[in-house]
Amino acid sequence: MDSSNDEALDIIVTNVVATFRTRCHLNLRTIALEGTNVIYKPEVGKVLMKLRKPMITASIWSSGKIICTGATSEDEAKLGARRLARCLQKLGFKVRFSAFKVVNVLAVCSMPFAVHLIDFTKNNRPIASYEPELHPAATYRIKNLKATIQVFSTGSLTVTGPNVQNVATAVEQVYPLLFECQKPLHK
Amino acid sequence: MSSRVCQTCGGTDIDVDQARGSAVCTGCGSVLEDNIIVSEVQFVEGSGGVSSAVGQFVSADGPVKAPLLGSGFHTSVGKESRAQTLQNGKRQIQQLGSQLQLNQHCLDTAFNFFKMVVNKHLTRGRKTEHVIAACLYLVCRTEGTPHMLLDLSDLLQVNVYILGKTFLLLARELCINAPAIDPCLYIPRFAHMLEFGVKTHEVSMTALRLVQRMKRDWMHTGRRPSGLCGAALLVAARMHKFRRTVKDVISVVKVCQNTLRKRLTEFEDTPTSQLTIDEFMRVDLEQECDPPSFIAAQHKAKMQQLEQELAKKLDEVEGEISCYKDEIENELEKSRPKLRGIYAAYAKQIDPDDVEVLSTATEPEELVVEDAELQAATQHLTQDFLCQVIQEEEGQDKKTDDNEHELVPEKEDTGPQRQVPPLAIILGKLPRSASLDLQQTFQAFNKSGTEQQSDDARLDGGELDLDGIDDQEIDKYILNEKEVQVKTELWMKENAEYLKEQREKEERIRKEKEQGMYKEKKKTKSKKREQIEASTASEAIEKMLEKKRISNKINYDVLRDLNRGGVGSGGGGSPSRASSDPPHPNTSTRKRLSRSRRKDPQRKAHEVNQDLAVNTSIMGKRFCRLISSTPKKKKPDCKVENSVTMTTQTTQAAADPPTVPEPETSPAPTRPPPNVEEDEEEDEEMEEECVSALQLVGDYGCEMEEEDIF
Repeated sequence: MDSSNDEALDIIVTNVVATFRTRCHLNLRTIALEGTNVIYKPEVGKVLMKLRKPMITASIWSSGKIICTGATSEDEAKLGARRLARCLQKLGFKVRFSAFKVVNVLAVCSMPFAVHLIDFTKNNRPIASYEPELHPAATYRIKNLKATIQVFSTGSLTVTGPNVQNVATAVEQVYPLLFECQKPLHK
Repeated sequence: MSSRVCQTCGGTDIDVDQARGSAVCTGCGSVLEDNIIVSEVQFVEGSGGVSSAVGQFVSADGPVKAPLLGSGFHTSVGKESRAQTLQNGKRQIQQLGSQLQLNQHCLDTAFNFFKMVVNKHLTRGRKTEHVIAACLYLVCRTEGTPHMLLDLSDLLQVNVYILGKTFLLLARELCINAPAIDPCLYIPRFAHMLEFGVKTHEVSMTALRLVQRMKRDWMHTGRRPSGLCGAALLVAARMHKFRRTVKDVISVVKVCQNTLRKRLTEFEDTPTSQLTIDEFMRVDLEQECDPPSFIAAQHKAKMQQLEQELAKKLDEVEGEISCYKDEIENELEKSRPKLRGIYAAYAKQIDPDDVEVLSTATEPEELVVEDAELQAATQHLTQDFLCQVIQEEEGQDKKTDDNEHELVPEKEDTGPQRQVPPLAIILGKLPRSASLDLQQTFQAFNKSGTEQQSDDARLDGGELDLDGIDDQEIDKYILNEKEVQVKTELWMKENAEYLKEQREKEERIRKEKEQGMYKEKKKTKSKKREQIEASTASEAIEKMLEKKRISNKINYDVLRDLNRGGVGSGGGGSPSRASSDPPHPNTSTRKRLSRSRRKDPQRKAHEVNQDLAVNTSIMGKRFCRLISSTPKKKKPDCKVENSVTMTTQTTQAAADPPTVPEPETSPAPTRPPPNVEEDEEEDEEMEEECVSALQLVGDYGCEMEEEDIF
């Protein structure tokens, strides 16, 4: 099974979400008042802090849990998380960087052909589901990889999974299925 | 009569009353057995002379375990929860299904789905409404009826996507593969609603052909079927000379105007649209089109390609032109009148300023000296790109002309040099990101060496690895003191309201804490009632009666007599304790009834007869509280109410058919629900005192003594 043809499929990772803990209580008001690029949301109880260097947005809770989104690779996510922790350290909190985990990876990929969604769903019931009233894409969930692939009729895919490896494997898995239901192009 | 041992007092003297079907310990009065199962059939005469059998139905598929005899046998054996859920579900399905005009077969199928769902515990955490709607929609899909999810959400006033989520989940869990929606299914329905009269059928046929054509042309994948139907019907109507405006169609089909217009445009792009009406009816074109979004994407790709080619060509031309530019500028400088004084200095600064602005715009953070060359290169490219953009704006045909055009304004001071920086900022993302990326890649390259080491080390211990983290940069993220002050001020001003609220809340909590009445997360809104302060039960009852007349069916005089009549009935307390069935006080007298009710506080009251059971438990405690002098919140009030409820129940109970214990008979409105929780919490601690309360009704004289003992 040749997963990619002569032209390799570009899987572009667009978003990586990671969480980590600082193991210490954080005073959100201090962070809000003394940091640049912060948005304080007292109703929800969190502070949004945006970093420029890896373009990252972090949600900081007072319990010390932090969620980092917007990175384009796992390494970048880690770097950004550490930067953030360092920043908090400088603000005066006794920060310890622990339990760093990449929670979600979002990638997009484009097939060189269009896909006939109804056939695709028929062949792959019940793993695939397609509800045109709700969403224009067919959803294919791979349980063992814990990945979800959304297939659009133009042939573009968006894949979400717990790490980059899974995402790549998911695309490889789904490619032959899509190939079967492709729509031959005219123009 | 089996001799058993009472669990509360250990006594062996058990009195079994076959008539009431209960076993009661004569020592302590605790009911050991209630609703003793007998194999006899008894008949009772209800109101109006109707005879009915005594007993309750126990469902065959009810709880598998036999109800425990002896302790723990609670009174809610009317209908267990599962049956109630199913009954409720069936009712809702019927209701909703009839609104959708589904036939009985569909409704039955939907009910079967619902049963499956309940068995799989999928109703947990979901509104029954949503689950019902999802089941109905599932049936619609499997049967192929022309009902849309939108219809259901309209009826329920719920967001479509929420319903859709539930529907998808159920379909997945029940492994039901609903066939895909075919827009053809909706055509007859919408056509009917558009009122074509006699020709409805013909119009539908035409519309069907159109939809099939659309399907072939790949317009229907990923789109709402209703949109396609709308477009097809509109065209079909026009073809048959019916005037249906877009507004008519969208009100029937439930899509937006823009969607309809878009579909029509897409259809216009297909070759089929070029056929005449007759041709269309006869001929079917072989050729199939690509999906419209695909075509759009291809179009975009083509445009990008063109732009790239343009850029390349321009690069070549620009090289030459920049030389010309420089030469011309030099000439101009010489010929320009020199400004004197400050203006001279000012004039000189303008050009470098522009350059500065550009560079700062592109790279705010790290103007590293060694990258100056890179910057210069990127700037040059940026400017070229910008020039190209300007040209494209003005007109793409005469490139050379435009270049010269550009040169002319450049001669003046306020040339594109001036224009360029604001353009850079406005158009901005394109050129800046291009140069940014360049800058960044080079910088990343510099840093990458150091960064790679950082990741591998430790970190589980919680130590923050500082490799690759530029402290200076981090410092920039932190404001200095003065800035902090300013920001604090601003923030306080902005959020004044919120802060005030928080402060008030804290004060409130503090006050409540002082009064000892603070409860964590007291969110239940209980009706505020004034407390009736009374020292004896009779006073309390009288005060309450003054305050409100609950019902004209209550004999208020009896209430007042309650206290006085207590002594006489105190003696008859023991035998009458052997009363069971709190919901069926058919034969017991008022007083006895009250006593039997009091026994229930020991039992945990749940579910069906919760109201009644709670009622009785409250009663018990109320009488206990009556002993205690501290005026607890709302207790005397409720106590009094309970005495009212007692009597009301006695008066009403006689009229009730004894078959099903109806919680509705209890005058629930008079009893505040939140007290239930309080009471049940304190159920255990009050248990012993309830015994004394039993005697209370008999002799109020003994109040104090009882209090001392317990």
